Amino acid sequence: MNLEKVIFGFFVLLAATLNFGFFIGDIDNPDQHNIYELFAALAVSLIATVLKFGDRTQIGAVHLATSLVADLQLIAAGVVWVWAKEISAGGMTASHTASMVSLSGGALLANLVSVVLLVTETVTFHRG
Amino acid sequence: MSNPLLVFWAVFSRREPRSRPPSRVHIESSSQTSSTIFLVMRRMRAPLITLIVIFSVSVVGLTLIPGIGPDGQPARISLFESFYFMSYTATTIGFGELPWPFTPAQRLWVTFSIYLSVVGWAYAIGSVLTLLQDRSFRQALALRRFTRKVARLREPFFLMAGYGRAGELLAKDFDALGQQLVVIDDSSDRIDALELGSYHSDIPGLAADAANPHHLSAAGLDHAFCAGVLALTNDDQTNLAVTMTAALLRPDLPVVSRTISAAIGERMRAFETPSVVNPFDRFGEHLRLALNAPASYQLLTWLEAGPGAELPERGHPPTHGRWVVCGYGRFGREIVADLRAAGLEVTIIEPAEQADSEPGVVVGDASESAVLARADLASAVGLVAGTDNDTTNISMLVNARRLNPRLFLTARQNQPTSAALFEAMRVDALLVPTEVVAHEVYAQISTPMLWRFIQEMPARGDQWAADLIQRLRYNCGSELPALWKIKLDREQAPALGGWLAEGRVVLDDLLRSPEDRERRLRVVPLLLLRDGEAVLTPEGETVLASDDELLFAGQGSERRELESTLVIDSIGAYVLFDQHIPSSWVWRKLSRKNSTPSMLDDREGTTSHRG
Repeated sequence: MNLEKVIFGFFVLLAATLNFGFFIGDIDNPDQHNIYELFAALAVSLIATVLKFGDRTQIGAVHLATSLVADLQLIAAGVVWVWAKEISAGGMTASHTASMVSLSGGALLANLVSVVLLVTETVTFHRG
Repeated sequence: MSNPLLVFWAVFSRREPRSRPPSRVHIESSSQTSSTIFLVMRRMRAPLITLIVIFSVSVVGLTLIPGIGPDGQPARISLFESFYFMSYTATTIGFGELPWPFTPAQRLWVTFSIYLSVVGWAYAIGSVLTLLQDRSFRQALALRRFTRKVARLREPFFLMAGYGRAGELLAKDFDALGQQLVVIDDSSDRIDALELGSYHSDIPGLAADAANPHHLSAAGLDHAFCAGVLALTNDDQTNLAVTMTAALLRPDLPVVSRTISAAIGERMRAFETPSVVNPFDRFGEHLRLALNAPASYQLLTWLEAGPGAELPERGHPPTHGRWVVCGYGRFGREIVADLRAAGLEVTIIEPAEQADSEPGVVVGDASESAVLARADLASAVGLVAGTDNDTTNISMLVNARRLNPRLFLTARQNQPTSAALFEAMRVDALLVPTEVVAHEVYAQISTPMLWRFIQEMPARGDQWAADLIQRLRYNCGSELPALWKIKLDREQAPALGGWLAEGRVVLDDLLRSPEDRERRLRVVPLLLLRDGEAVLTPEGETVLASDDELLFAGQGSERRELESTLVIDSIGAYVLFDQHIPSSWVWRKLSRKNSTPSMLDDREGTTSHRG
């Protein structure tokens, strides 16, 4: 067992699950989407990105790309939340919630690709 | 061709595409660089993750701790406010407690997270700084910058491996000629010296081992504009490696390599293309030439010294008598062989008995006057101080001069720092191996015609050389003028096209001044190359033909005058035939009947052909 692989898999999966947890629920209902979950998803996703640094293989490059996409989408979702909560007069409206959640939905897709890559890598790994 | 587009097309279609002989193997030079970059990213993992974790924990922690709002009611600050607060606190900017004053519980948490985040930042920044200091990382960056610079070169360049004394002298000569160079040297001090050197052009330099094909490739060995490879390092093995790499990967390129070992020279020559410069060998040949033909030798050293060199003095080495050679190493052997070939008697002094030494060798330390006396210096005519130690050589020279003041003294200088000492000694002939290499390589590679000239020159005899030196001095002064070549083809001499074909261009007429035809240009034709046949110092009555190549010596101003004769047909007509052709088309038409018709038709034919 390789400890590096365990940590790597853990963070990739955790990023995907947290993202999924935030995404699930009515798309325009702010009560069903906890902002702390978004924060956690973003933090874990950033860690996963850093873990993917410095891998020279082709699959490593795709891993890094998916992670960067996920980060970008989650940061966009966070900015939408800040905008709705602190800046716009109407507060957390249904449309703001919908756009925030849909952005995180895009990140979820990228995270799912990451997981698929991880699984593919594991399945095609032959020792000896 | 009245249509400008057609003219344009004709001009460009005539241009031959630069044929780039494919290198047989492509060497990937970027792999080493990128691996270092990946290593750096890998090393940044831990500090970055630490930073993210510390940040997340402090931000979330601060939002979870209850505070008191401006209205006195319990209120928690939001994630955004908390992120803002932590950002300016962690980066030590510190705007104060926003958006409202904290409760003691919040302050407790903030105190904790301040220490945590400062440690995180210090760790991350420290890691970055360590990486920037890292030697391999810096080398990778330098290599990358160098590779990019070389790849962007858009003019022919020479790849010079080794920037020692010889390399520096050569770089100065080539820079004066406007020839671009790329330099590799394994000592970073030398590369610093290159960057500090005052050159007109920006010469890319890399501190790396030239024996590594990857570095040669990064230095542009497979670049389309690479025009030649010069292997000039102090190490024969490295030179051999560079020669092999260049000869195998780019068989089309000229390669010049330096060696002081005959065996390595043989191995280099096995690759066919390289031309090998052995300074000892060449010095021996020069000495032989100096014995037989002092003026030829004077001319040779002058031409090889590069533009701007002063005319060296003509020595008069004794051609009869006995020479004494001290130091029977590689250099000594070459010299002895050359002196004997010139029919001179030689006595050898060798510091230690050698297994293969010949009979009659005097064994002993040549810097002791007793040993010199044993070699019977009083009756000798010349002395060669050829050990590889400058101190020994100088003390030998001093002793020898005391014993026999009329001796012809020849010395070998090993260190550039001893130059002043040898100058003070006023030796008659001095070998500085690095200078011999530099001059030789310059002569071989600056223009092939000069090399041809130098090779064929000794056969013309001493008197001829003395006359030519007189002519050069009269026309161009005692500093070596620039040497330049002209090819009488459509590119360089469009005005002469028709006249050349008719055989009406005489060299003497061509070298008249465009301002006043009675004045002769102060230019000396050194060589005429026609169909591979070389004529040295062609006579004034020579009739020139198309595609003749000429090598001239003369100042830049004279060169420009000659070029205007070659390019502008009205000047050409005046200079060659004392005829005034109007420059404009209208006047040409009007004055048509006044001129010889055949010539004007011809001129128009050439002009319209050129578009």
